[in-house]
Amino acid sequence: MLNLAHRLVLPGVLGIVLFAGLWYAADRTYMQLGNPKILTGWSLFGLMIFLALFNTRKKLAAFNLGRAKTWLALHVAGGVLAVAVFLFHTGTLWPLGAYEQFLTALFWLVSLTGILGLAIITVYPRRLTDSGLEIIYERVPAEISEIRQLAEAEVIACTEEAGQPTLSDHYEETMDWYFRRPRFFINHLVGGVQAAAWIRSQGDAVRRYLSDKEAPYLDRLLALAERKAIVDKHYACQDVMRKWLVAHIPLSVALIGMSVWHLLLIHVYSQ
Amino acid sequence: MAQAERIDRPTRWDAAFDPDMTDADFEMLMARPEIKSIESDAFPKTVSLDGVVRYDMRVNHYNAGDIVVREGDYGNSAFLILQGELVIARDPGIPADQLGRVKADRQGIGQRIANIWRNSWVPEVRDTDRYGQRTGASGPQSGKRGAFLQDVPAIMREQDTIILKEGTLFGELAALGRVPRSTTIFAEHPAVVMEIRWQGLRDIMKYDRECRRKINELYREAALESYLRQIEILDDVDSEDFSEIAKHCLFETYGTFDWNVTFRRGKPDEPVIAREGDYPDGLLVIRAGFARVSKEYGNGRRTLTYLGAGDMYGLEELYHAWKNPDSGDLSLNCTISALGYVDVIRIPVTVLEEHVFPNMRQPSGSNLTLLDRTVADDALLEWAIDKRYMNGTQSMVIDMDKCVRCDDCVRACSATHGGNPRFRRDGQIFDHWMVANSCMHCKDPVCMIGCPTGAIHRSIETGTVLINDDTCIGCATCANSCPYSNIVMVPIRNKQGVPLIDTAESGQPIVKATKCDLCAGRPGGPACVRACPHDALSRVDFRDFHLEAMD
Repeated sequence: MLNLAHRLVLPGVLGIVLFAGLWYAADRTYMQLGNPKILTGWSLFGLMIFLALFNTRKKLAAFNLGRAKTWLALHVAGGVLAVAVFLFHTGTLWPLGAYEQFLTALFWLVSLTGILGLAIITVYPRRLTDSGLEIIYERVPAEISEIRQLAEAEVIACTEEAGQPTLSDHYEETMDWYFRRPRFFINHLVGGVQAAAWIRSQGDAVRRYLSDKEAPYLDRLLALAERKAIVDKHYACQDVMRKWLVAHIPLSVALIGMSVWHLLLIHVYSQ
Repeated sequence: MAQAERIDRPTRWDAAFDPDMTDADFEMLMARPEIKSIESDAFPKTVSLDGVVRYDMRVNHYNAGDIVVREGDYGNSAFLILQGELVIARDPGIPADQLGRVKADRQGIGQRIANIWRNSWVPEVRDTDRYGQRTGASGPQSGKRGAFLQDVPAIMREQDTIILKEGTLFGELAALGRVPRSTTIFAEHPAVVMEIRWQGLRDIMKYDRECRRKINELYREAALESYLRQIEILDDVDSEDFSEIAKHCLFETYGTFDWNVTFRRGKPDEPVIAREGDYPDGLLVIRAGFARVSKEYGNGRRTLTYLGAGDMYGLEELYHAWKNPDSGDLSLNCTISALGYVDVIRIPVTVLEEHVFPNMRQPSGSNLTLLDRTVADDALLEWAIDKRYMNGTQSMVIDMDKCVRCDDCVRACSATHGGNPRFRRDGQIFDHWMVANSCMHCKDPVCMIGCPTGAIHRSIETGTVLINDDTCIGCATCANSCPYSNIVMVPIRNKQGVPLIDTAESGQPIVKATKCDLCAGRPGGPACVRACPHDALSRVDFRDFHLEAMD
């Protein structure tokens, strides 16, 4: 199982060769008094179509369209190549015309979401594995509900046994908020430990008011809270791992659509 | 809400082994001395001897050159020669290119395009018309394949052959042991052979004690003979010495045939075959199943490795003791115990010293060198053996450090199986490896034990364990037997999406067994592997995987 960096070597070399070839062809076109922008523009468009085909390959799983891991490596290398070809084609980071600026904005957004996605799929899986628990995304609500019921059962049992509402009051006032739904979403995404700190502080805040009978209930409640923190981390990371494509793919479709219009305009008005 | 359609609940003998068996054939079989001698009264009404003969047997007619069984094929049936003779080409064996293997049906591009529209949003849709036309039970029909040898006289001239005469029973080893056929058997002249699928053979053995004794005896003799010939250290032994070795070998079995039952209850049996510190009385050769090699370590036992079919234990120690008679220490270094059901051939040390060691080169390596690895190195192996994953040849292992939980693998599986995924991306996790709930296509597929119709079978071409949906009666025997819970029973629907229920008063849903089929018939291998963009998912044999993971 080669990791992505290893799998990128050959596509990377291929990308460099293609870019060098394009550079040479554009230079020759210029020397022959042709317009190299036409060549680089069509190359960029072809490259964008190729990058978009990766999603089509996913939809046609029953066909032998090559292994998805090869496609991903080509997609990443092709994405980097697209940035280089884009800069070569436009000669600037930000063009002047309004339509071109809109097109460029889309291009950079697609590129940025791609880079962000690459970072997400590289970092988050290991972070989830290290959490020591594996939860299927669709099971997260059920898991949280289960933990909440267990937590509430502990609180009720504590009140019944000790005859004091201290823990149940504290639960109702503060911890109920935490057990209701996934929390600390952003903090989990950036790898923070805010959830653990919050749980610890809530435990410390109430422990001094609990009797010896009540203390074990609090310990079990905190253990459940820690388990929920892992579930929350899975929710946050898995949610982003799935949803970054919701930005990347529609933006890509919009970019290709706008590029088609751009090509039409160029060819109509350059005649 | 759609109304349910009623259909007859499938039963064991809905699908006869030979749906075209004539009454004359049936009476001829019943009149055979081998059948007549079976105590029919011992059979229960639900599984009568008449029924076994009628539905689990068939009569095959072979012409000169026809192949009856082929070396390497997975067979689910045994044979009895009724008329004529058959031939085993023993040495040097028939070349593979003359054996005419049949290629599996492949899905063409057109069929795959059509599947894009055929895949239903309604789960588990079946063409119920097919159920009324059930034919052969176990998919590929080994005894009726029609493969034949081109030049029988040349084969007879060039091969060292053994003639099997009328009344000989053969093939029971592969049928009962779920192992590939060990040799090719063909007809030199026309012959008539009764073929019995293993479910019928199992029932006869179950209810007729004398038959059980005879088959066991034959099974042991045949196993010993064929397996001894495959042992590398016996390659250079001349035939006289070989006979002497065969005469003294012991054929032993440890554990229970249905080991999965105790394993699923969480109390797996692990009977000891040879104990650390004991005197080594012979070389152990694993014929089928798995054995753990372990050594005392701290307060527990440390697994050094495991042995599978063809592996040996004790050779180095015995050879060393023979070569250095004054070295003193003759005890076994490790304990070897049965992981489930294990067939072992024990070659006594006296036989080895007399007939094998004098002409043998010193064996290299020892299990003790495995102790050079750290406990952490072997933790994966230890875990995999405890979970019995060494049984899998195509276990689905997901590297969770790479998996982005996108479910592209599940979607790809679903897209290639009519909209129904055949595995769950969930399972046991060790470190960052997840063994997902997907059929592992086991070396010892215990799911096949007890299937009343032979619907679950091994592909003759690839060895993949498959379920023939047409003949599955939904009894759930396989699902209950699978030690890894990788077979799922699903309620089915007709092409209109209407749930199917039994015509009987109970009106229970009709269910079918489903599992991963490794995308049989689709070029390129399993779709799940091809669909993973992050190279996180692979299908592995645990023996190779452990070494790869250590690296």
